[in-house]
Amino acid sequence: MSAGSGSGSGSGPGSGSGPGSGFGKALVIITGASRGFGRALALSVAPRLSAGSVLVLSARSEDRLLELKRDLGRGHPGITVRCVAADLGCKAGVDRLITETRDSATEPGIQTLLLVNNAASLGDVSRRCRDFTDVCEVDSYLSLNVSSALCVTAGVLRSVPGRPGLSRVVLNISSLCALRPFPSWVLYCSGKAARDMMFRVLAEEEPDLRVLNYAPGPLDTDMQLQARSSSADDALRNTFSVMHANGQLLTCDQSVSKLMTVLLEDTYPSGAHLDYYDL
Amino acid sequence: MHSFLSESLHIKRSVSEFLHHSSPRLPGFSPERPTMEDLISREPRDLGRALCIITGASKGYGRALAFQLSCRLKPRSVLVLVARTKAQLNELKEDIVSLCGQKKLDVRCVQADLEETEGVEKTVQAIKEMNSTEPDHVLLINNAASLGDVSRFALSFTDPAEVNRYLSLNVSGALSLTAGVLQAFPRRLGLRRTVVNISSLCALKPFPSWVLYCTGKAARDMMFRVLAEEEPDVRVLSYAPGPLDTDMQLQARRFSGDLELRRSFSSMFSEQQLLSCEESGSKLIKLLLDDDFPSGAHLDFYEL
Repeated sequence: MSAGSGSGSGSGPGSGSGPGSGFGKALVIITGASRGFGRALALSVAPRLSAGSVLVLSARSEDRLLELKRDLGRGHPGITVRCVAADLGCKAGVDRLITETRDSATEPGIQTLLLVNNAASLGDVSRRCRDFTDVCEVDSYLSLNVSSALCVTAGVLRSVPGRPGLSRVVLNISSLCALRPFPSWVLYCSGKAARDMMFRVLAEEEPDLRVLNYAPGPLDTDMQLQARSSSADDALRNTFSVMHANGQLLTCDQSVSKLMTVLLEDTYPSGAHLDYYDL
Repeated sequence: MHSFLSESLHIKRSVSEFLHHSSPRLPGFSPERPTMEDLISREPRDLGRALCIITGASKGYGRALAFQLSCRLKPRSVLVLVARTKAQLNELKEDIVSLCGQKKLDVRCVQADLEETEGVEKTVQAIKEMNSTEPDHVLLINNAASLGDVSRFALSFTDPAEVNRYLSLNVSGALSLTAGVLQAFPRRLGLRRTVVNISSLCALKPFPSWVLYCTGKAARDMMFRVLAEEEPDVRVLSYAPGPLDTDMQLQARRFSGDLELRRSFSSMFSEQQLLSCEESGSKLIKLLLDDDFPSGAHLDFYEL
């Protein structure tokens, strides 16, 4: 895999420690990094970064971020880990993350910028469309799940402009819910559908970027727990409970592993929606 | 190539080929063949004794629908027109009342800005107060929308407040208003409930420099698909009206940041390929009268 030329598709992340095995010297930003998929991704990406790389981790919980930083530090001393405790549902949080990214972007010789828009919430799945009479509640949901993804992406990419030798990759952690409606999941489905479209527009506008909507599959996380305990729709709740009971939920590591392969092979069409089960 | 023109014409051409039937607006059209509007005006069916609510009613598509729908409502129906500008609403009300003449159509104007929480609440409150009218059909047309700043590209949207405001009108407002209406008129035997989402090709395809509009429309389409899943007795339709000759279209051809898109809109305008609101409105009304669309479906003017 050649070092990125910063233009066209398939220009790829840097060669790192061997073709296709790493991102080289990278600036990696992961939102929602304290638990679940984001955390697993941070732990999986770290071994694929060359010395001098910077990993910016954002989440609301400072404690959990610091714990993750300690875990990462033990295995990967050559990597700088920056923790940004921020609630992306509000402007101050978004600004804080952008500022931290801007500071981290001064690191010379970065070969790969990888932004992972992972932070998300399920919304109140115990209620149906007809129950969402409060505009503020819906606004608040969209602020975190849609607006912040756009603003963080815009802020980060402006802080790390394109140049030859730099591959810029923007990831949206998507869902089957971006494509199919699920009863009692109006906020989550609408937010995911919105995000997928948003990143498709980005891919159209910026041919130099590598943009991917990755649907990770049904993961065994806190979000899944919420899904199977709170969903108002009986059939959906049962489906999740059965999946859990039968060990059919994916571990975050399983899904992250497939994602890593996709990113490193770097042949996906920019703007595509890829699902764990497609790969 | 991602121009609006090529996308729309592609749909039109492929449907035309399939149906061996051409749009009445194309050259070579036989003058004997009735237009959609002619067919609709001769249509004897109606939409019942309805409570019909139209948002964004003061101009463009909403305004045209207000006129066309008013002719389809039985006497003692109530037509609720929602928009920000009171003066335009009142004028519209007068015009509709004169048009309907003898028929007893109760036209109510609600001045509300659906970008504000209070606007949605005020509208829902006004609708709740119409409970006593006991309609046999509640028809909500979620038409109010904005284009957003199409002169700019996705990477310029760094201010969450701007994006939030946009989503509040175009997504949250539509959901909360719909929820409020469905709660004000809950499911009951003999009551037909129809919810329309004025959608767009942009709900399905990304267009450069249109991130807010595409994102909002994609969110809405999904929202209404979930609604259709949850409420099997509610008839839910996402209707993409085609490229209409309105102020929104003017904004599109003047300001779109993407050059190719801007040119595409300009040539649609200069070559008179834009649709009149009436022509598109007639198709929507036919869909509502036929009432056989799959609930939750996205239907485009050019597919029908």
